[in-house]
Amino acid sequence: MPNVLTVRGLTKSYGSQMALAGIDFEVHAGEVFALIGPNGAGKTTTLRIVATLLTSSAGEIIFLEHNLCKEPDFVREKISYLPEEAGAYKDMKGLDYLHFMANFYARTPEEEKEFVDRAVAITELGDRLRTKVGTYSKGMTRKLLLARALMTKPVLAILDEPTSGLDVLNALEVREIVRRYVREGTSVLLSSHNMLEIEFLSDRVALIDKGRILDSGTPQELKDKHNAKNLEEVFRSSVR
Amino acid sequence: MKRFTNLLKKEIKELVTKQLIFSLAFTIILFNFIGQVSKKEVQKAIGVQTISALDQDGSAASQALIKGLESARFKILDQSGKTKDQALETAKAGESKLLLVIPKGFGASLTELKPSEIETYSFMRSFSLIGARGQIVVGGVISALNNILSNNFLKDKLPGFDPQSLKNPIKSKDYVVVRDRMAEGSAAQVAGLISQQSLLIPVVLMMIVIYSSQMVISAVAMEKQNKTLETLLTVPIKRTSIITAKMLAAGLVGLISAGVYMFGFQGFVGGIGEEAARAGVQAGGATMMRQLGLYFSTSGYIILGLSLFLAILVALALAMILGVLAEDFRSAQNMIMPLMFMVMIPYFISLFADINTVALPIKIFILAIPFSHPFLVSQNLYLGNYGMIAAGLAYMLIVFIILVIFAARVFSTDKILTMKLRFGKKRSAVA
Repeated sequence: MPNVLTVRGLTKSYGSQMALAGIDFEVHAGEVFALIGPNGAGKTTTLRIVATLLTSSAGEIIFLEHNLCKEPDFVREKISYLPEEAGAYKDMKGLDYLHFMANFYARTPEEEKEFVDRAVAITELGDRLRTKVGTYSKGMTRKLLLARALMTKPVLAILDEPTSGLDVLNALEVREIVRRYVREGTSVLLSSHNMLEIEFLSDRVALIDKGRILDSGTPQELKDKHNAKNLEEVFRSSVR
Repeated sequence: MKRFTNLLKKEIKELVTKQLIFSLAFTIILFNFIGQVSKKEVQKAIGVQTISALDQDGSAASQALIKGLESARFKILDQSGKTKDQALETAKAGESKLLLVIPKGFGASLTELKPSEIETYSFMRSFSLIGARGQIVVGGVISALNNILSNNFLKDKLPGFDPQSLKNPIKSKDYVVVRDRMAEGSAAQVAGLISQQSLLIPVVLMMIVIYSSQMVISAVAMEKQNKTLETLLTVPIKRTSIITAKMLAAGLVGLISAGVYMFGFQGFVGGIGEEAARAGVQAGGATMMRQLGLYFSTSGYIILGLSLFLAILVALALAMILGVLAEDFRSAQNMIMPLMFMVMIPYFISLFADINTVALPIKIFILAIPFSHPFLVSQNLYLGNYGMIAAGLAYMLIVFIILVIFAARVFSTDKILTMKLRFGKKRSAVA
């Protein structure tokens, strides 16, 4: 499978503090690639750099044969990013928010309608979309934001802890939505510290800790390699 | 352009809230209310005022004094036949602002050219300046009477001489020269009129700068607080467009808000000014100002407007950077303070000192503040210092360009997410 994203020697430092110490990974077309690791491992920093929010200190990122650092405007047209603690404009109605975001990507009114219709279907919020976002529960807001991230069918969706703070049912629903869009051709780069979720959702996984990638492969490959029952045990084994 | 318009519409919608409309409507109503109340007070002060008079003398001179007061629009309540204490009690209990006591022997003393005394008792029921006007007018009447009495005496003793010339052998005829123009009048009068004409400039500037800046700072800080900034920064729109949309929206709403406030303010000031002018309290100096060329031509107004516009742009760009430094809406409220001081410093200095003649270090400090220049424009226009005006405009433009480049740089780099002004514990930027 061709690579959508290739990351080589990615380094990021804040003064003397090293957040990423030269990491390498690829995201193939139509796969879910997950970065897993504890808090402060460097997952969000990696995702923010790929989402063009932060600049790297060193290394190279190639997105669809374009240098991400040199052509951020091209990249922004093709990706969507869902931050871990994302919010939506509280005074906007859900539907207005979707129209507002769709307007940045759509070239025609028909395309905008297509994006919004798709988002409405993902959220399953029905008439609640006609009420202000400020009145939504956390689960409703998260689904709205996920719908916003997927409605354009981006080449690469970057999802930071997509089920963070959601109850079991909502989390399950979000995972199913992500899988559905991957089947339709979107590639996903996600991060989570919920390793069981990753096992269900991801095609390939990279274990990250203290700004370094410890190991990577399919969940099964990693479990076999570390003789572990699940990814949590794989991670414990890798850290040791 | 479509993306920019999309963002601009959202920014404007966010700023034009029900609270803003309510606040603007409330301000207009409040200013008009205060204006109407003040207007009534001024009307009362310049209208017929009631004073009590106890004439214990009953001479022609004392009667002339009372008649003089009546002609100066005073309603006199005659307290004749009462003792001073009784008159005081009556006057105090009534609506009189003042009790005038003309003691026995007043007329005789005047005839004998001995100093005569009258007593005034002012009843201060409020401490407003307008409330104290009664005594000022009585003082004026007495001074006029002094003049008439002394003139009569001089005419009597030295017939053939002009009493005014005898009393004031040296006369001054005052002229004011501004550049190559000259007019009869005093420098104090000109300074007073210019200060009146320029009164609205700092008020307009302060209003717009404070409103617009607060809006920009809050707009950026709210994006951070509501966790919407990261998403906005990853959508396909240029960072400079994000900055421009936020600044333009705040500028537009700020201008409209300031316009509405000025309309209300005019209602307030107009309430007092109109009545005072009608009563002749304000001396007219329009002819003198025209003769001296001290009025704004159309080009003058354009230059002044341009200067105000550049100052607003500088404020908006500065506010954008301060907004990035703010972590949330609350800290954004504190960020506006340095900006307010930057506007207030030249305002207060221009009230008490001539910026052109202060010590050099202070002058440099003031001129370095971009908001000083709109304050100086009117003075420089009057004095024909076009070089100074051009330098001021160029300086503001340069500062604006530097600030916008800096703001665009901040928005295009990690700084938009990592640059914070913290007063507490440092937090790691790594997640």
